[in-house]
Amino acid sequence: MRDDLKVGVFICECGGNISDTIDLDEVKDSLDVDFIGQFENLCSLNGRKIIRDAIFDHDLDRVVVAACSPISHEKTFQDYVKPLNPYFMDMANVREQCSWVHSDKKKATQKAITLINASIEKVKQSDAVDPIYCQTPDEVAVIGGGIAGMNAALSLAKQGTKVTLIEQSPSIGGHMAKIGKVFSPVKIAEECGMCLLNPILNELVWNENIEVITNAKVIEAERRSGTYNLIIEKSPRYVDVDRCIACGKCSEVCDIEVPNDWNDGLSMRKAIYRPFGQSYPEAYVIDMENCDKCGNCFRECNMKAIRLKSKPEKMLLQVGSIILATGHKLFDMDKRPEYGYDRYDDVITQSELGRITGVNGPTKGKLLKSNGEVPKRIVMIQCVGSRDEKPDGHRYCSRICCTVALKNANIIKHKYPDTDVLICYTDIRTPGMFEKYYKHTQENEVRFLRGRPGEVVKKGDNFIVRVEDTLKGEFAEIEADMVVLSTAMEPSHGTREIAEILNIGTTEDGFIKESHPKIKPVTTDVQGIFVCGTAQDPKDITESIMQATAAASKVSEYNYGGVEIEPFIAEIDREKCTLCGDCIGKCKYKSMSIQGDEVYIDPMSCTGCGKCLVACTQRAISVNGNIDEKIMATIKGVLSKKEDNQRMILVFLDNIGYTAADNIGVNRLSYPESIYIIKVHSVNRVGPHHIHYALENGADGVFIGEFPGDLMYDEVERKVDKVKNTIASLNQNPERLTFSKVYIPYFSGLARKFIDFDKKIEELNEIEL
Amino acid sequence: MKSVPDKNILLFRSCLVSVEYPGVEASTKFVFDKLGVDYAISEKQTCCTGLGYYSDVFNQLDTSAIGARNFSVAKDLNRPNLVMMCATCYAINKKSVKLLNKNDELREEINTLFDENGLSHLKYEKDDLKPTENIFHVVDILYSKRDKIKENIKYDLSDYKIATHHGCHYCKVHYEDTIGGVRDPNIIDDIVEACGCKSIGWYDHKRATCGTGFRQRYSNPELSFNATADKMNAVYDEDVDILVHLCPNCHIQFDRYQHLISKREGKEYKAIHLNVAQFVALAMGGDFDKVIGVKAHTVPIDSIIKELKEVDK
Repeated sequence: MRDDLKVGVFICECGGNISDTIDLDEVKDSLDVDFIGQFENLCSLNGRKIIRDAIFDHDLDRVVVAACSPISHEKTFQDYVKPLNPYFMDMANVREQCSWVHSDKKKATQKAITLINASIEKVKQSDAVDPIYCQTPDEVAVIGGGIAGMNAALSLAKQGTKVTLIEQSPSIGGHMAKIGKVFSPVKIAEECGMCLLNPILNELVWNENIEVITNAKVIEAERRSGTYNLIIEKSPRYVDVDRCIACGKCSEVCDIEVPNDWNDGLSMRKAIYRPFGQSYPEAYVIDMENCDKCGNCFRECNMKAIRLKSKPEKMLLQVGSIILATGHKLFDMDKRPEYGYDRYDDVITQSELGRITGVNGPTKGKLLKSNGEVPKRIVMIQCVGSRDEKPDGHRYCSRICCTVALKNANIIKHKYPDTDVLICYTDIRTPGMFEKYYKHTQENEVRFLRGRPGEVVKKGDNFIVRVEDTLKGEFAEIEADMVVLSTAMEPSHGTREIAEILNIGTTEDGFIKESHPKIKPVTTDVQGIFVCGTAQDPKDITESIMQATAAASKVSEYNYGGVEIEPFIAEIDREKCTLCGDCIGKCKYKSMSIQGDEVYIDPMSCTGCGKCLVACTQRAISVNGNIDEKIMATIKGVLSKKEDNQRMILVFLDNIGYTAADNIGVNRLSYPESIYIIKVHSVNRVGPHHIHYALENGADGVFIGEFPGDLMYDEVERKVDKVKNTIASLNQNPERLTFSKVYIPYFSGLARKFIDFDKKIEELNEIEL
Repeated sequence: MKSVPDKNILLFRSCLVSVEYPGVEASTKFVFDKLGVDYAISEKQTCCTGLGYYSDVFNQLDTSAIGARNFSVAKDLNRPNLVMMCATCYAINKKSVKLLNKNDELREEINTLFDENGLSHLKYEKDDLKPTENIFHVVDILYSKRDKIKENIKYDLSDYKIATHHGCHYCKVHYEDTIGGVRDPNIIDDIVEACGCKSIGWYDHKRATCGTGFRQRYSNPELSFNATADKMNAVYDEDVDILVHLCPNCHIQFDRYQHLISKREGKEYKAIHLNVAQFVALAMGGDFDKVIGVKAHTVPIDSIIKELKEVDK
């Protein structure tokens, strides 16, 4: 019988933090347990001996430590109660939630007794459960072979991790291979982008830990016990990479010419082609959409490398973690008809300008208009699609466009000092060292006009750019013979697709959402999946590389440390389960799936919220750790100490809410003594029967708090509304139950909510008396 | 695309249409009848206040109160779908519905005024109408009936050079409900296409205002007519025969003032001006006088359209 269990209570003075406010002698006198002791600093190393000796001497089955918050020292005391199961210990938080928030000694002492009593009742209901350790496979998939993906793959490979780099196009390299020149703000000089990229590319190709798969996409993904099973579809290249020596004879005999996408369509290429000079794999590829299968290449190839009959292949890749580096695309210029991009050849994007000024581009680096002349005046238009609140625009700043425009303006000025360059900007954003580059650009006689042009029209041979100069407050019409648009960065199709396939949260703009923008910038809301580069938000090459190496480092942490999981997760009774699958759809955390002939629960993602329990008509699911009974016992433990005319409000909070409540104490704010906080694993586990029981057996009010970021938030809110309706139908006052948002940083708001709710309950008590 | 009703419609009359170009209303009815649209008009409906509102004669309270009254007229007829011939009426009424639904204080104030003046039957309850589901412009209905328009074309107008002008208060006020593009408006172009014609599509100043600016035409004529001249010159540069629009304000600005601006700019403008309903009615065989109402036009319609050629069936 659980009631016969021997319980020991260890009270910590916390160097006066607790004992100065709470009368510990009175506490000891009022509790009926098998052992009770008072110690100065229980968390110190000799606490281990004190607790262990008492467990042996008094044959204790369960331990309550009345001290600080479990958030501070639960792990410590779980260790100190060995050889008892770590979950046979419970902490009564008499510091953060008692001595630090109450000043009335008598009331604080009474509250401490109640809290300890609740812990005693709760710990009696505890079952032995062992923490679950998960070790995930070390293999990693990096999706996207641009500068971010390449660096992430390389960093991991150099640490000894096997990496598969999956790239959708026929070559790795990404946008950086195309941009021509890059610049560093410190050097105040532009340098060859390909020359910087090539060593990275070579290093990656030669690293034995990296396998590069091009022309390939992830089309399906499933996770089981920390292992991701990725189905990859590899489109045929129609050229045998192992045989092709990239001699190019095939291309010479190919009759079909189509716009060269690598040159942004500014030049032509054949249907059999090599994307660019340094592309990897070092082999030609056939663009089957445009190939007429004439067979010329097949006949020409001495290496017999052409494979016109290849078919798409599907392959399975099993990895423990994934780095998403699926990158960005540029704003669709169809959405800005006013700039005439589709109508006029000499209205181009910065990306196209990069190709035109690149020595490996369509004009071999010569800045020429479509008629072959050097432009006399170029107007650059900033923020095309960025910082735009009108329909079809992005509200965010794309971050790199100011410096890209400055770079390209300088490149033009170096080579063609007579060409006038005018940049129409919204605000020039050149933080840090970039500001020096901005000044350098001004000294190079690049001109600037503050204003976002409304229209570009062609009058005669020239363009007219209509713009309001917002510094002078004047309308201007600028003549130009070339217009360059600084287009916004937006999530690539691949980024959107992979987010859907892997069920990863995205921002309202469609970028992959990091789990915390400040302190967790590379983890996603799915365990084991990390993000870097422009898939996460607009950024430049340097930042992409930094985030890529950070993501690689996070994967290593994950691979070396394994993952410890709280054991309070759902379990299936296979005898009862009929495989109806009702539970699978209910799980907001997507941790359930049918594997073979049983329902599988992924311990990594299950939070023990208990939503599946309700869905299961066979009652085949249980959640480890006797949680329901523990909550009930805690409620009973609190209410059993209620005295006449004492007001008692039960507050249910999960880890996040509980931390916020602790912060009230840490910051020495206060709230009424009537507030009794009960920590639960998931707020969803507080059932209607708990609430009804509490209100019918002495609780004056029940307060349920939930973090709005929790996937179960809406569910819990609905549930509370339902319970309110039931309360009303029982002729009780539903106002005695309240639901509230809680946020860790907004602890003062939580304190105020406690005060307000207590006041309201006091008024209700007066009215209803 | 949002769903567009074809029944329970109150065709909302417009002061400018009635006074200046009654053919717009006659054409709308003619086309609606051919397309089988279920509509009615009501004598009880009043002006939307738009011109007064934009000239600071009426404030938002008056405007929303009058809106509430007109909405009650529509509800009483069981015709909760208001369809406007004028872009001003369209934007004004949509805004009033939004305010009456969202701004509890304003709604209460208006309802109290109704109560105090023995007009309790006009009271507006929150969400009586929905801005997106109940407030439309004729152009929305025509657009949703494009396929049916195609079946009813009698005359071939495809030899004329046609440009479109999309009213600001249709396109640029309630973005979320605008069909056919906001930054690149094409709803009229698509309707013109349904009539078997191809518009010139994009042209310089396509999206610009007609220049009316309500009172600006009178208080800042220079500013107002500069804007109109930009548009007219662009239309002139493209050698346009017919400019098709959707709002009587634009219609007046172009049609009544074309000769004046022509003189000012020293250019021979030739374009005639038709509301989209008039254009469709014309293509469907509407009578020049009785339906299109050509006599109300300052730029003579027959200066361009001299004879009509039937389509090959």
